[in-house]
Amino acid sequence: MCTVVMSSLFYFFRESLTGFSRNLSTTLGSIITIFLSLLIIGLFCVLGFVVNNVVASVEDQVSITCYVADDATDADIKTVEDYISGLDGVESVSFTTKDEAMENFSKSMSSNTDIIGQLDGENPLPASIDVNLSEAQEVSTIADAIASNETFAKICDEPSDPSSSLQYGQKTVDKLFTLTNSIRYIGIGLIVLLVVVAFIFISNSVRLAILARKREIEIMRLVGASNGFIRGPFLMEGALHAIIGAGFAIAVLEVFHRVALPRISSALPWLPINVTDSTFILVYLLLVVAGLLIGLLGSSFSMRRYLKV
Amino acid sequence: MTNELSEEQVPSGHHASHAEVVSNLTTSLPVVDVEETTKNLGNPVISFEHVSKVYDAQPKKPALDDVSLKIFPGEFIFLVGHSGSGKSTFINLIIRQLKPSHGSIYIANEDLKSMRNWRVPYLRRNIGCVFQDFKLLPNKTVFENVAFALEVIGKSRHVIRTQVPEVLRLVGLEDKANKLPDQLSGGEQQRVSIARAIVNRPPLLVCDEPTGNLDPQNSRGIMDLLERINRTGTTVLVATHDREMVDNMRRRVIELEGGRLMRDQDRGVYGRHV
Repeated sequence: MCTVVMSSLFYFFRESLTGFSRNLSTTLGSIITIFLSLLIIGLFCVLGFVVNNVVASVEDQVSITCYVADDATDADIKTVEDYISGLDGVESVSFTTKDEAMENFSKSMSSNTDIIGQLDGENPLPASIDVNLSEAQEVSTIADAIASNETFAKICDEPSDPSSSLQYGQKTVDKLFTLTNSIRYIGIGLIVLLVVVAFIFISNSVRLAILARKREIEIMRLVGASNGFIRGPFLMEGALHAIIGAGFAIAVLEVFHRVALPRISSALPWLPINVTDSTFILVYLLLVVAGLLIGLLGSSFSMRRYLKV
Repeated sequence: MTNELSEEQVPSGHHASHAEVVSNLTTSLPVVDVEETTKNLGNPVISFEHVSKVYDAQPKKPALDDVSLKIFPGEFIFLVGHSGSGKSTFINLIIRQLKPSHGSIYIANEDLKSMRNWRVPYLRRNIGCVFQDFKLLPNKTVFENVAFALEVIGKSRHVIRTQVPEVLRLVGLEDKANKLPDQLSGGEQQRVSIARAIVNRPPLLVCDEPTGNLDPQNSRGIMDLLERINRTGTTVLVATHDREMVDNMRRRVIELEGGRLMRDQDRGVYGRHV
């Protein structure tokens, strides 16, 4: 039984290789399209990891600063702090006094001592409650919740409009999300397009292979070759196209990994590119699986239409 | 030819000369019924029970209309009729290229109607097929063409190496094993296709117009070969237009006309009015 399976596989392999030489141009076409689509899928996967890292590091920095009026009582501040830390998505709450705020300000303005000097010892900076978030996407919901709190409205820096006493990087966060989303949509669109093209190429070259072997298939059916045996070479052909295409894509990605990525990260040190080797191996596995799926589906599609068994 | 005829006739008690038989038939026909009761030779190889086949293209005109018959192991049967009489439909039903619209077909007690698709290849391994156009692969040698039939059903190289030369010897082509089909005559090509059909030793051999493309001399050679194969116990069914062949060989004749079974006759001739 084992030898029968082995000899069948060998036979499928041999037959699909003759299919290669018979339709060299379509074979190359399907290999190239599958290579390109897998390469782009792979690049987007890697890029996706990088973008995720960037987003995560930006999200870590997202916080809300709630400015508090100078005459606020400690009890009210304590009530607001308790309220905020009870909200969903809040990681921690801390308090910055007026003096600390001044200290921070002079630290960040240390190169510009004139400004501090012009203050004449007065401290115009308000004290603040600093809120660190665990879910950066919730930032505006949390800010709204704080603004609508009655105690906060009483102690906030500008009682007429509590929300103006809140400061957070809403715009930065929004922009980042719009950017990553549009990258994602463009990527998905491109991948879908290329997968469709690869699918069409593979099914077309398998169709040609089927037509070229029409007589053989007819005889195989008459002498009782099993359906699997008749289909085998064509499935093998689709799968081989896919694997060769995936091989090229992996080779190019590996070059990118070894050569291009270190240069990019040394040129852009602020960009947190931490793509590990195991991530790449995962991506390669994904490419092989995706390629096989495209290849097998493409050839089965042609077989359904052109190969009566 | 005459030798084989008398050989056939002696055991069943027919001592009449050729001419007498023909005149007898002329008087007794047209008879739709079986002329001599079919000898029961065990379970039938093929059994048609009220089989009809209607093609979608012609719903009013069935290609086969209520055909019932039984074919027993070891028989040699001619299937005759005009073009369009349903011969090809009959053969395609046997090898299950087609399914009957009504009625049932049993091959070796297996119902073709309820047969699962994946079992069909195993049915076909038990039926050798020979066609008018030979259906040889032009880029393979004679040996490879015959070997192909064994290769694709997963036979080992050892089986191929022993069985192919043996069957080529049987059809008289042992010295042409390495020729390509287009280097052979029509008769030789048909021998190759017969060799391919029987190399797996099927109990049933079905031939659709095997001599349709051949001259009379080559046709006779092919029929001799089919008869020899029949003598080894293989049931042989031959659809043919070849009047002379049918008349000379005097075997069971099944005649179809317009899809109906017109005649099922032991030791029959081609036409009803000779």
